Amino acid sequence: MSVSPAVLRRVMRELNELENNPPEGIRVQTVDEDMLDVTGIIEGPEGTPYAGGYFRVKFKFTEEFPAAPPKCWFATKIFHPNVGGNGEICVNTLKKDWKSTYGIGHILVTVKCLLIYPNPESALDEEAGKLLLEDYQSYCDRAKLITSVHATPRTKPVEFNKPSSVDAESPAPSSSKDTSSKAASPSADTATPVASTSRLPATSLATLPTSLSAPTSISSTASMTSLSVPTISRKSASPAPQMSLKASLTSEKEGLTMGPQKERHPSPSPLGTADANVGKPGMGVGLGMASTAGMGGVTGTKAVKRAATGSGATNAEKRKKALKRL
Amino acid sequence: MAESSSLVSKMDIDEAAIDEGLYSRQLYVLGHEAMKKMATSNVLIVGMKGLGVEIAKNVALAGVKSVTIYDPDLVTIQDLSSQFFLRAEDIGKPRAAAMLPRLAELNTYVPVHDLGGRQGDEITIDLIRGFHVVVLCGVPYKKQLEINNWTHENGVHFISAETRGLFGATFNDFGPKFTCVDPTGEQPLTGMIVSIEKGKEGVVTCLDETRHGLEDGDFVTFTEVQGTTELNGCEPRKVTVKGPYTFSIGDTSGLSDYKAGGIFTQVKMPKILDYKPLRDSLQGPEFLITDFAKFDRPATLHVGFQALSEFHSRYNRSPRPRNGEDAAAVVALAKELDADADEKVLTELAYQASGDLAPMNAVLGGFVAQEVLKACSAKFHPNFQHMYFDSLESLPNTLPIEEECQPIGSRYDGQIAVFGRTFQEKIANHRQFLVGSGAIGCEMLKNWSLMGVGSGPNGIIHVTDLDTIEKSNLNRQFLFRAKDLGKFKAEVAAVAVAEMNPDLSGKILAKQEPVGPATENVYDESFFDDIDGVTNALDNVKARLYMDQRCVFYRKPLLESGTLGTKGNTQVVIPDLTESYASSQDPPEKETPSCTIKNFPNAINHTIEWSRTQFDNLFVKPAQAANAYLSEPNYLESTLKYSGQQKEQIDQIVSFLVTNKPLTFEECIVWARLQFERDYNNDIRQLLFSLPKDAVTSTGQPFWSGPKRAPEPLVFNSNDPTHLDYIIAAANLHAFNYGLRGDTNSALFRKVADSVIVPEFTPKSGVKVQISDNDPVPQNTSGGDEDAEDLTKNLPSPSSLAGYRLNPCDFEKDDDANHHIDFITAASNLRAINYSINPADRHTTKQIAGKIIPAIATTTSLVTGLVCLELYKVIDKKNKLEDYKNGFVNLALPFFGFSEPIAAKKATYGSVEWTLWDRFEFKNDPTLEDIVGYFRKEHNLTITMVSQGVSMLWNSWLGKKKSQERLAMKFSHLVEHVSKKPIPPHAKHLIVEIMVTDDTDEDVEVPFIVVRI
Repeated sequence: MSVSPAVLRRVMRELNELENNPPEGIRVQTVDEDMLDVTGIIEGPEGTPYAGGYFRVKFKFTEEFPAAPPKCWFATKIFHPNVGGNGEICVNTLKKDWKSTYGIGHILVTVKCLLIYPNPESALDEEAGKLLLEDYQSYCDRAKLITSVHATPRTKPVEFNKPSSVDAESPAPSSSKDTSSKAASPSADTATPVASTSRLPATSLATLPTSLSAPTSISSTASMTSLSVPTISRKSASPAPQMSLKASLTSEKEGLTMGPQKERHPSPSPLGTADANVGKPGMGVGLGMASTAGMGGVTGTKAVKRAATGSGATNAEKRKKALKRL
Repeated sequence: MAESSSLVSKMDIDEAAIDEGLYSRQLYVLGHEAMKKMATSNVLIVGMKGLGVEIAKNVALAGVKSVTIYDPDLVTIQDLSSQFFLRAEDIGKPRAAAMLPRLAELNTYVPVHDLGGRQGDEITIDLIRGFHVVVLCGVPYKKQLEINNWTHENGVHFISAETRGLFGATFNDFGPKFTCVDPTGEQPLTGMIVSIEKGKEGVVTCLDETRHGLEDGDFVTFTEVQGTTELNGCEPRKVTVKGPYTFSIGDTSGLSDYKAGGIFTQVKMPKILDYKPLRDSLQGPEFLITDFAKFDRPATLHVGFQALSEFHSRYNRSPRPRNGEDAAAVVALAKELDADADEKVLTELAYQASGDLAPMNAVLGGFVAQEVLKACSAKFHPNFQHMYFDSLESLPNTLPIEEECQPIGSRYDGQIAVFGRTFQEKIANHRQFLVGSGAIGCEMLKNWSLMGVGSGPNGIIHVTDLDTIEKSNLNRQFLFRAKDLGKFKAEVAAVAVAEMNPDLSGKILAKQEPVGPATENVYDESFFDDIDGVTNALDNVKARLYMDQRCVFYRKPLLESGTLGTKGNTQVVIPDLTESYASSQDPPEKETPSCTIKNFPNAINHTIEWSRTQFDNLFVKPAQAANAYLSEPNYLESTLKYSGQQKEQIDQIVSFLVTNKPLTFEECIVWARLQFERDYNNDIRQLLFSLPKDAVTSTGQPFWSGPKRAPEPLVFNSNDPTHLDYIIAAANLHAFNYGLRGDTNSALFRKVADSVIVPEFTPKSGVKVQISDNDPVPQNTSGGDEDAEDLTKNLPSPSSLAGYRLNPCDFEKDDDANHHIDFITAASNLRAINYSINPADRHTTKQIAGKIIPAIATTTSLVTGLVCLELYKVIDKKNKLEDYKNGFVNLALPFFGFSEPIAAKKATYGSVEWTLWDRFEFKNDPTLEDIVGYFRKEHNLTITMVSQGVSMLWNSWLGKKKSQERLAMKFSHLVEHVSKKPIPPHAKHLIVEIMVTDDTDEDVEVPFIVVRI
């Protein structure tokens, strides 16, 4: 395949960045003879049934990259509602919500988010989707089993011997750094408001704030700016950081947004937030946020929404317990 | 009345039958309805010089009931400047009669007649009776008025057109009440909705923040609305746009309350146009603006063309080329009509009045031919009413003097009149590389041939195309005839245009090698050194990007163009001046998420995409895998191991080679019947088992709502044509895989299919694996290897089947007998029925599944003309951005837009400014160390990464030993070392990309590097 010099240049830049400042829990493997033969390795996030596993994600760039997304698939077997039998990944970032500013790092962070917040509403593996909706415990058990069989090496991949950017850098001005090390997990009640999106580094996704009503703070936005993923673009048209964050959230409907949670105690909201596609006006994630601009922001809307819809709660309890035991 | 004898037998063809094989690509532009109307229209075209023949060609290709031409005047050598259906031996014969046989060859479905007449006879009202559309080319205004007065009263559609050098004009009068049924040609907009407000405003909100794309004044209707059911199938309601996701449909207060769901669909409303006759329109003209940078020009040209006509009737000749006296007379005549008219433009118009340029005729001819089709079919919005176009910028920077432009009795006199003899020589000695000889390529070669490009002692045209000629090409690739089917396009086209202009004999070098990395030994440095520029006539982005890259590297001007239905664009890329093609790319169409395709389709294109994949999964991949297993010694070990689906693949090979191998065609029918059950019943039931219709999401919303449509399993019924179509196509394709003879007797299929015993299906519920934390975790293995090994035991050894191979299907959309599109249509429609989606016919399915790009000769003709107008500038080596124009057209609206090319983006390193056209050069195969040292010493830049092609040669995190080893290598050695491939012998240089940082450790962008080896 002939790839234009501009594209190669871009890939080079990105590989360099990923090598020097990899996002937490994400590494890439490259092959000298073919820069485009990229394999991402995602460390199964703690607190999920994928913990302990290392999942390989293969990339294939077409000549239309970056105008069109690369093809991406799991080369490691995984039990996940949004991953098909052939490793295919169903996430809007790789399809209709693709933007040419996205890159390898962004995709891997997005996929890592998907491991934390599966989206049963757009299931590729409908059995996994069904389990996740109906019987969270079984879903976890099954996913854990598959992880242990197929994704857990005896020793962790050498790529992970190198610290990620967050570990290596001086403390970031936000809470996100805490989360990189399990030992230093913040107390369960730490009220760290983090507006979440797949744009955030995976590290901050693991920081699960408890405050339901805290506004999206500037500090969380600041943590975004310290991101090491170079291709992250933000709609910076609006002056206020909060606004710009919202703009980026609304622009990207991945079903991956999440609500406030405690460290290692995922609340039910992740699943509840996945229905941006089916909500009524005012209920949908995007609309909800737009209507609460400058107020509660994302987290507030979620809270209201969850309170308003009780049916998820029982399942949520189960999930919560299940995850505790993991 | 003479007519082409070979066509008499074809004249009684059933008007309703459209040859879809021939018209395939055009049908996707115009549709069946419009083409049926065209098939009842008789078209008369008067004036058979360059413009007339261009219109006649395009209309004949498009397919109307008949084309009649009129031009009894005698052929002169000057006609050959732009009349591609006349030859030197025709000089002295009546024009229409001389060209008739060549025009008649174009389309056997379109009879072509010549109205005859004697030299000097003008067209009369008597002669135009019986035609639906009359086109007058180059006819004086006095005559136009006479004819138009009659056509306006008698319901005949009237078009007049003429070109004068770099100027063109056309006028439409389609009568006082012309109804245009589809003013835009765009697909009606449609989308899902989530609410309808009750009230005076009646605001409708779209689902999921999907832009509705509607505009004020559009009309919509609804389906599947729950609650406000009165809106389902309602009379079109007028839209007022409230926002990107909301629109109002007026008063809804009397309607029922909205509950859920619903789809809006735009309704195209006919538009009625009130055309003025020419006599009124000359006084109060309405102009189509073709270039907003020339806003005042239509008014000037409006009187300018009238003045030229008046000049002609006074002196019985055109103004002499660049003659001041004649020009002054024309200016004076024009000023009588409009004192404000631009004198400079009028003078230039008069100077060029005897000019006759193939590119201008191509632009106007493409445009006017589409207007003819609009008049016949009422499809698209016709021009209202005057259109003037010019490309004055194409004149050379050094204007020719009067003497230079006088006719010399040459076939190029029409061009010499505008550009002069010196420039004609430059054109003749120009050296171009035409990449592609399809639709744009044929038109380009025609224009170049008429212009004399490459005809001089130093001139040359290289043309390459890897394709051979197919039937669907004949509808617009007008250099090809039915007898040429299967031959190489480039060769046939080269011969055809050399026949058009014998000066080009031996001057066109046709090749079959496609451009690409594999042919850089053919299109090498000496090849590029030897040409002046490249013209792309390609149909895919990949090849365009590749040629762009090559042109940047070799610093050659590139003329780029493309069409999509009635839309077209042109782009000029000039070294050191403009950005390149790759600098700005259209975003490709967004793909549909895979879960939508797999489980939640909500539109017919989702089911078509699914069935296209299903075609591969059933009829291509298994046979390929089985063959690979039989022919590649280590297939199982090597290929399969890394697929992640080893077990599934081995299963499949076993099934195809052993357990389910059919021996008779009946077994193929059984296989098809069972496949039906699996795909349209069992899988759907399994999905509904996992996600029941009453399932709710974690927020309590119904799972199956909004874009998720709950499916319904199908029960096979051999009397349902769609069911049976599926069985027929699937069984035949399965039989093809095994080399079994197929059948299409539906009774047989019905009989066999009905006798199949279909196993009972129970949805699987086995995913609830109960394990607790105390259960021992299975040992980590590479996963399922044992299983796979067990399975391989069931495989026959390749040696036991020596020589046996399956026949994988090779998807071919244009062969109507191969069952490919039949299968995809049936499979897609069955799935559509599963999900209550409206099925699509074969024609629509074929376009989507085959990714067919709609195409019509009119657009191609116009776009190619625009490219050639830019070629004049390239030949003149113009070097200012404002000298060039990128063009955007849409013949449906109609719309013209032009913009200055975008300047190459400037970047800097240190104090050096650079663009994509700059590079560093290193000679004599230096070591990497030499290069690193150069940047450090000369530019104070530190290299952090080096790559060549896709090989990463060196980076800052490479281990120390490796790093030192590589730094010391000669560059060519380094490349071979890392890429593990030898450098091809023809390669004289390597293109290298580097990343560098400056002394503050900041990344700096620098140009690429050329390393000579």
